[in-house]
Amino acid sequence: MTTLRAFTCDDLFKFNNINLDPLTETYGIPFYLQYLAHWPEYFIVAEAPGGELMGYIMGKAEGSVAREEWHGHVTALSVAPEFRRLGLAAKLMEMLEEISERKGGFFVDLFVRVSNQVAVNMYKQLGYSVYRTVIEYYSASNGEPDEDAYDMRKALSRDTERKSIIPIPHPVRPEDIE
Amino acid sequence: MLRHILVTSNMAARGHVQDPNDRRLRPIYDYLDNGNNKMAIQQADKLLKKHKDLHCAKVLKAIGLQRTGKQDEAFSLAQEVATLEPTDDNSLQALTILYREMHRPELVTKLYEAAVKKVPLSEEYHSHLFMAYARVGEYKKMQQAGMALYKTVPKNPYYFWSVMSLVMQAISAQDDKLAQTMFLPLAERMVEKMVKEGKIEAEAEVQLYFMILERLGKYVEALDMVRGPLGEKLTSELQSRENKCMMMYQRLQLWPECNALSYKLLLKNPDEWQFYLSYFDSLFHLMDKSWSPPNEEEHCVEGPVQTTVAEAVKFVVDRMEEEDKKDSRPLRGPYMACLELIHRLRQRGCPDEEELGDPLELMLQFFGKFGDKPSCITDLKIYLHLLPPEQHTQFKNRLGDLVPLGEVGEDGFGFPGDTKVLQRHLCVCQLSRVLGLQHTLDTEGKLCLITELKAHYHYGLQFGKSCLKTELQFSDTYCLMVAHVYIDLWTETGDENMLWQCLGVLEEGLSYSPSNAQFKLLLLLLFCRLGAFQPVVDLYSSLDAKHVQHDTIGYLLTRYAGSLGQFAAASQSYNFSLRFFHSNQKDTSEYIIQAYKYGAFEKIPEFIAFRTRLNQSLHFAQVRTERMLLDLYTEADITSSLEESVKAMGLCPEEDDIPWDNMRDNRDLTVLFSWDPKDRELTEEHRRLSLEEESVWLKVRSLTLRLLASLALLGHAPSPRNSDKTNENGVSAKSSTLQTLLSQLDLTLQTAAQITEKQTQYPFLGPPSSRLASALSSGSCHCQASALQLSLTLQELETTGLDDSSELQTQICNSFKSLIVQLQELLSRCKGEVLEMKDSRLMTQPSLLETLVFFVEPVVLSGFQEWTGSLQGIVTQALDHVKGQEASLTALKLAALTLGVGHAQTQEECGFTRAAMDKVQTSYLGSLQELGDLLRKRADSLKSLKF
Repeated sequence: MTTLRAFTCDDLFKFNNINLDPLTETYGIPFYLQYLAHWPEYFIVAEAPGGELMGYIMGKAEGSVAREEWHGHVTALSVAPEFRRLGLAAKLMEMLEEISERKGGFFVDLFVRVSNQVAVNMYKQLGYSVYRTVIEYYSASNGEPDEDAYDMRKALSRDTERKSIIPIPHPVRPEDIE
Repeated sequence: MLRHILVTSNMAARGHVQDPNDRRLRPIYDYLDNGNNKMAIQQADKLLKKHKDLHCAKVLKAIGLQRTGKQDEAFSLAQEVATLEPTDDNSLQALTILYREMHRPELVTKLYEAAVKKVPLSEEYHSHLFMAYARVGEYKKMQQAGMALYKTVPKNPYYFWSVMSLVMQAISAQDDKLAQTMFLPLAERMVEKMVKEGKIEAEAEVQLYFMILERLGKYVEALDMVRGPLGEKLTSELQSRENKCMMMYQRLQLWPECNALSYKLLLKNPDEWQFYLSYFDSLFHLMDKSWSPPNEEEHCVEGPVQTTVAEAVKFVVDRMEEEDKKDSRPLRGPYMACLELIHRLRQRGCPDEEELGDPLELMLQFFGKFGDKPSCITDLKIYLHLLPPEQHTQFKNRLGDLVPLGEVGEDGFGFPGDTKVLQRHLCVCQLSRVLGLQHTLDTEGKLCLITELKAHYHYGLQFGKSCLKTELQFSDTYCLMVAHVYIDLWTETGDENMLWQCLGVLEEGLSYSPSNAQFKLLLLLLFCRLGAFQPVVDLYSSLDAKHVQHDTIGYLLTRYAGSLGQFAAASQSYNFSLRFFHSNQKDTSEYIIQAYKYGAFEKIPEFIAFRTRLNQSLHFAQVRTERMLLDLYTEADITSSLEESVKAMGLCPEEDDIPWDNMRDNRDLTVLFSWDPKDRELTEEHRRLSLEEESVWLKVRSLTLRLLASLALLGHAPSPRNSDKTNENGVSAKSSTLQTLLSQLDLTLQTAAQITEKQTQYPFLGPPSSRLASALSSGSCHCQASALQLSLTLQELETTGLDDSSELQTQICNSFKSLIVQLQELLSRCKGEVLEMKDSRLMTQPSLLETLVFFVEPVVLSGFQEWTGSLQGIVTQALDHVKGQEASLTALKLAALTLGVGHAQTQEECGFTRAAMDKVQTSYLGSLQELGDLLRKRADSLKSLKF
């Protein structure tokens, strides 16, 4: 029981209960504006009947069509603690996948901290699998390398043979991912 | 990266053939990119010796100069090149970057205007010109540039850039008539032309068409368009067409269509709350109009329409039954919709609500289904008013029956066996708080409640043993509620022990759940209320609040840091916020341009409104004012003269840059969780009063700042008798500014007095009170005003000359004496112990610290006027007082305090309370030291003046 709608700039003033979570990054304004300007349909917020923001997803479409790498990407997905365990994250992911389907993407991918077991398991339940490990993808606020990421993927209907999700056995470095 | 420009412009203009000039310029680009500006300048000079006409080298040199702080030199060098009206990509793009860094985006437009004239067929230059106009918001010129571009290269996006520029002219027009009769109709015709010619290509173009029709109020046309073939292009956003149709139905009050579409969408997704609302809205509108469907054909284009309460009841009941039947997780929507429908029927005095059932039973049913979700409280809270007060206790008890706790142990409590039961139990506690049942308990009752909640908290910790540091503990909410009950007790009884124990329990909570933002926020608030700012710094930084959060929750820091004498921390917190606001202007312009490029037209007005909202932020105005005041109070006449400081800040007393009439309160005032009953919640009225109070306080501060600036520029002007006529005029103009500002301050203080008379009390977890009340009651404001008034009189004396001014001299003498008396009084209000132990209780008087800060400000201000004698006496007294306070604080051995006497606290809990007490003591000492340092510096500068 949720209102799902496009995220707008005004929501930035109301998202503290979501973003004060330690694993949710608050980005600089340019980052949000870039997504709103380029992929507004991929930035969706869920609102509770009382007006509280429950969670949001932020994504984009990128990659080369010719190389069959055109895909939807999940940049951020976060749900406020008091609105967890309602299946909201799954709902938002489903919407992002649907948008990516319409755009003719081959797959949807996302990066997640290796340590964030809760999220990794959730994505697995939603049909995502680890495609590769990216070494030291996350860095701490001092710029020091902090943690590895899993690059997780789920094939969309256009990738009939599910080629895009065949795992790469060796870990890669952040500079090697395109 | 500058290097990038070189590469891309190469490829664009000349393919991959290497231009010898590019080879020559490359090292300069590299130096600049690596931050090696000096080498870049040298390299450019070297190159310019050999190739005088290599303009780009000059511009790159100018970039180097700009970045090393030589703005004037950089500017004149840049203008040398600009007047030549360059047409090479390298120079143009380098100049663009330079002008942007100089914050002179309007010069970029001149640059490309010239380039376009010289190379009229260049798509690239035309498009740069359009973007340059976009950056400065020259909508009319954008419209023309877009059209010129389209005529050069007939690509659709260019045409629609021009159309959008018309829409922007409409939005920004002062006169709405102009928008409605000229700009928007013109935009509409431009789009219609493309439609007729069958040239509409992209979704963005359809979106823009819709936007224009909507703004014109042509909802019928908009609806036809969305339903027609053009609407088929609306595919990116999910349900884009349905959402747009719904919006138009509502605008057009086409309730049958609205109803039928809502119904359809709800059948597809019975959890979409907004469509329940539109379904009910439309239903009741139809009932009010006694609308009946046409007999034979379809009800309306969207399908069957529902027009009776019976149908709505059946619809909702059916949705609930569907959920009941499901194997998977049930959705909350239908059950909430049922409560919403009862609420609406009751509002209309409609008796049919009974058909849906008793709200109490329905809420119990809801709790049965969703009680183990943390959101249950947020959901039910909305409909608690459906229960009559006499049912509250019954409701709570029956909820309790649905929570199977284990056997009651020695302490008299039974505990949940798993986290689901725990969450249910928590929800009952939350509901009973929201119903006010906790608030009606007496002190003993509340203490028992605390014991019970604490027991549950500690018991529940076992379920979260394997939780990561980044996760919350399942039982955290108990801990937070304990803190809330302690706060109730503290505010009701004034018993400070409750506060200390509250701090203890929150510190304990944080030790088990180090990422809990709510613990941190509440601790932060409590330490601030206690006048202890030092622990707040770490707490806030561990929240990792960044960027826009400085605007929304930065007030938690900036409200208290300076007022508690933590000047270094205050300065730092102002800077965090200011850095964010200053980058806003540049950042948003860039993305307005991106929105044009990607055709996200609806985002353009949104970005502009966002930029305005930040620029008009109350917090922004506060931090920039407080930042300058702080610098003047702490630094002026110590490191540099007041006049120099004022000049360095670019302060102009005549200028008022605060948008008083359009101030935006961007503070997030509900960031702290609260389960208080409705009558204790933050209301819109509270918000309004808080903004009003903060604005008046800001006005006092901003006038004080401008008065200080005015004084600085006046006081150090040459004496009028030795100067020529113009100078004399200058001085009198300035003193009239001073006079004007003083009377404004006087008026503002009168308004302030009226506001503080209201003695507005905000909810504890809502906005902090402004400093206004204590500034007035301490006498600080009037002291400052007197000191400033005195300066004005002194100025008059200087103009009049000593000979004809015996009256004036007497007046000054009296004012001065009275000022000293006022300062003495203010100082006497600082007397007392900020922290003391009495009968094994720790007592605080944080207001003494605040008053001391309020004492320091007028002292410093008077010090600027070089009145030494008596002032020095007061400063010495104040210093003695501070020293005395420091000594007694240091002597206070908190370890000697026996804790847990009043109400039982475990050994461990006492440890946390003690830690909190130590933090408060240390923080007080820190504040006193900073205040002492400042006073000492002032005393020294007064002494040096005396000689």
